[in-house]
Amino acid sequence: MASLAASRLSNYPILGSAVASAKLPEGEGVVTEKWVATSCLNCATRCATRVRVVNGKAVKVTGNPLSQVSEGENCARAHVGLQVLYDPGRVTSPLKRTNPNKGKGIDPGWTPVSWDQALGEVVERLKALRDRGQPHQLLLLYGLNTVSDEDIIRRFGDAYGTPNVISADGLDNEADKAGEWLADGHYSQSAYDLARTNYILSFGASILESYKPLARSLRMWGKIRRERPNRAKIVVVDPRYSVTALRADRWLPINPGTDGALALAIANVIISEDLYDTSFIENWTDGFDEYRNLVLNNYAPEGVAAITGIPAETIRQIAREFARSRPAIAWRGRGATSWPNGSYCSYAIFCLNALVGSIDVPGGVIYQESADFRSMPEPSEDDIARQGKSQPGLDLRKTTRFPAAEVVTNQVADSILENNPYPINISIGFNSNFNMTAPAAWRWDEALKKLPYYVHIAPFVSEMAEYADLVLPATTFMEEYAYDQSPPGSGFAEIRIKQPAVKPMSETRSITDIVFEIARRLGGTAAQSFANIGDDAQGFIRYRTGTLAPWEKLQEEGVWVGPPYQYYKYDCIFRTPSQKFEFRSGNLEALLKKTGQPIDKLTCLPHYEEAEFLGDINNYPLLLSSYQPLLNVDNGSQNYPWAQEIFLVMHGTGWTNFVEINSRTAHAMKVQDGDMVWVESPFAKIKTRARVFEGIHPQVVTIASGQGHYAYGKWASGIGVNPNEITGVAYDRLSGQAAFFNTRVNVYKA
Amino acid sequence: MARWGMVIDLDKCTGCQSCSVACKAENNVPYGSPDEHKKRTAPFWHKVIAVSRGQYPTLGIDLIPMPCMHCDDAPCVTVCPARATYRREDGIVIQNFRRCIGCKYCIVACPYGVRSFNYKEPEEKEYHRPDLPPERADRGIWPFPTRVHGVVEKCTFCFHRIDQATREGKKVGVEVVPACAEACPARAISFGDLDDPDSAVAHLLATRQWLRLRENMGTSPKVFYLPR
Repeated sequence: MASLAASRLSNYPILGSAVASAKLPEGEGVVTEKWVATSCLNCATRCATRVRVVNGKAVKVTGNPLSQVSEGENCARAHVGLQVLYDPGRVTSPLKRTNPNKGKGIDPGWTPVSWDQALGEVVERLKALRDRGQPHQLLLLYGLNTVSDEDIIRRFGDAYGTPNVISADGLDNEADKAGEWLADGHYSQSAYDLARTNYILSFGASILESYKPLARSLRMWGKIRRERPNRAKIVVVDPRYSVTALRADRWLPINPGTDGALALAIANVIISEDLYDTSFIENWTDGFDEYRNLVLNNYAPEGVAAITGIPAETIRQIAREFARSRPAIAWRGRGATSWPNGSYCSYAIFCLNALVGSIDVPGGVIYQESADFRSMPEPSEDDIARQGKSQPGLDLRKTTRFPAAEVVTNQVADSILENNPYPINISIGFNSNFNMTAPAAWRWDEALKKLPYYVHIAPFVSEMAEYADLVLPATTFMEEYAYDQSPPGSGFAEIRIKQPAVKPMSETRSITDIVFEIARRLGGTAAQSFANIGDDAQGFIRYRTGTLAPWEKLQEEGVWVGPPYQYYKYDCIFRTPSQKFEFRSGNLEALLKKTGQPIDKLTCLPHYEEAEFLGDINNYPLLLSSYQPLLNVDNGSQNYPWAQEIFLVMHGTGWTNFVEINSRTAHAMKVQDGDMVWVESPFAKIKTRARVFEGIHPQVVTIASGQGHYAYGKWASGIGVNPNEITGVAYDRLSGQAAFFNTRVNVYKA
Repeated sequence: MARWGMVIDLDKCTGCQSCSVACKAENNVPYGSPDEHKKRTAPFWHKVIAVSRGQYPTLGIDLIPMPCMHCDDAPCVTVCPARATYRREDGIVIQNFRRCIGCKYCIVACPYGVRSFNYKEPEEKEYHRPDLPPERADRGIWPFPTRVHGVVEKCTFCFHRIDQATREGKKVGVEVVPACAEACPARAISFGDLDDPDSAVAHLLATRQWLRLRENMGTSPKVFYLPR
């Protein structure tokens, strides 16, 4: 670079190296600098990050090369973490409501109060409820939190004595999980050995936009395309031309809600052409004969072509490719499974993996291992807690209505409104925002209005916080201690810690610290349950991770990675009655027998059922779907200009969303690109702009989620619309997964 | 003297836009607003654009990350009446804020639309962005002490990183790369010396088909794209 100064450029003010000697004014430049190993929380992937802190300010986020899940990489959301931290809309002190009237657009009349007063008030009410022997009338709701916060919240629910600890999982991919449970007994999202696979067949999985662990998928996409001799082939089945479809080798637009039929037709071809993995099927599966008969007799490609809109020849071709390009993965996502028939669809797709022997092999489906955290002592329980927890849950999980469900998030709103099975007295929300993120969001508005006392704990006043009687300001993930891990994906275990990159802003406190303090003030068994597990957030994280690595090492490295993954564990991975992979679900049979529900010929087999749609086709000819763009931040806010200005990459635009409509459909409806239109469902209507787009099935319109905020933030409020304001309520009947894509709508000029 | 260039593998790119956001953070590029977005005045040094063709169901959309192409024969350099934009010896095309008179001739001349005009008043609260990196503190010593209203800005290939690495004897393209390349989770962006046959970029160009945007303009851009 020295030659630069002597070059012809010396006419110009000298740049680069020559300036290095210039002195900055006193107090400017890098006075202090450090890198803090922590992790992100802008989505559930919770990637390991390193944050550069200069002069006490966080200025840059990068990946942590020690993380193996995403091989040190992050997605765009990680960088947005800086704007989450420095969001000007954050709450600085506890806020108490002065206006007793609650509702959309009603000013709550917040007044700042001290932490002491705020916590005193909460604890007094919690104590009174417990003293009345009704701890089950406490409802804890949580959205996206750190894993340690979730552990703490659930422990608090246990110690207090409520069965009502409700996560957002019922809005996410419970039907995916149930599909795997039906086959192999793991009620869990599937993990895929991406780096070694040769063929990915995605059914509605938004691999490059919203499927978690996202950064891992992004990293592996690069790897399987061009970092090894054989380039993996990727085929995407989706009514929408997603970013994943765009980057795939082939896009197969499918009639919405028919993915299960396609999977069964692919099975038909694989079986009838003898392309399946005979040795795996013979040794490690059960119920194959029944499955084979069902598939061969009912799902010939010709018949399924009429259902799915995908030609029979294409189905054959895909099936042959899938079976001959092993190891191959059949990957199911929300687009295919967030439907009333979701679990069976999920089951049908998952079975394809077994057909081609992609179970626990390199490049196939793998079984996520977890870290051995130091276990906590059982929470202290008294009779009040035991009685409370024996009450039925508000979400009707594990009842005849939702027999296999772990959590039915969206049901809670109706249960609150109907006092079903009992009224709720106090509710606490931790980073939840269900009146935006759940279908038929208006029911949540009503339910929140009805709650006698609602406390919201989050860094900002979201739409749900608008209904709170008390808002407690939480720290962001850049200011707190936590431990975290990604959803299933890597196979091997990995955890990360969070530690403050900067001091907590103003009076904010971490959720773990807040819960510890509430438990202490409650006294009795609640306080006992929180004694000896570390006393505060940092102590708790040290306590739990103590079995993994020394604290100093964790603080330095930020990441702990478990031993390498072992494949072929067929003798111990199948948690089914036959201890094999089941094409006929023994788990479901046992469960239904226990609850006394009828079992017919098809009940326990993967089969296709026509989806139930909300709204009649004559008045509402189109189907409304939604999708999560990558820059829809998962934390319940969207007040981040970096995310907003490049929100919709496919459309090259930001600061908005719109209803995307196929050009032929638009033409028939006399709608032009850019027109203001009404999107009307049987339940409600919203006004937005039409985007005429080639990448959408003619019978479907779609709206990106993440916009339509109204509570706070000049970069979020009043921008775009929220599709959940017009969707109806339906569930997958096994898992209680909320259906997102089965509401019919009409679109017409406003 | 090295000749810095960038190779973007569109087969690996996932369209996640980490590059665009990382650039904003690294270079403290002001964010826009809905209003600026409508007027197309929001500044970007790096943006992913979408180009679509075809009709349902046989359509294709290309997502193309667009930094400055750092053309060897750059129209912006030719037209600049103030000599505010020029090509360094290592091939990086640079904008000197202090010489720029804000005539926007270069914006018109650039065939790639990668130049932004800075409409932000320094007094504006948002310009200083209390929520974002303190400029000088973040960057260490940088040639342009503060940003100024009324000048044109653009991608610099993160030359502050390159220059610092060169001073410290680090290997550019291996140990140090521009912020967009560093942030790419698919590792689709490679950076290095085009004239060095052992560099990763040279290797990619020798073994893969590649294209440059608007080749017919005769600009000889130094950003190369590898199609599927």
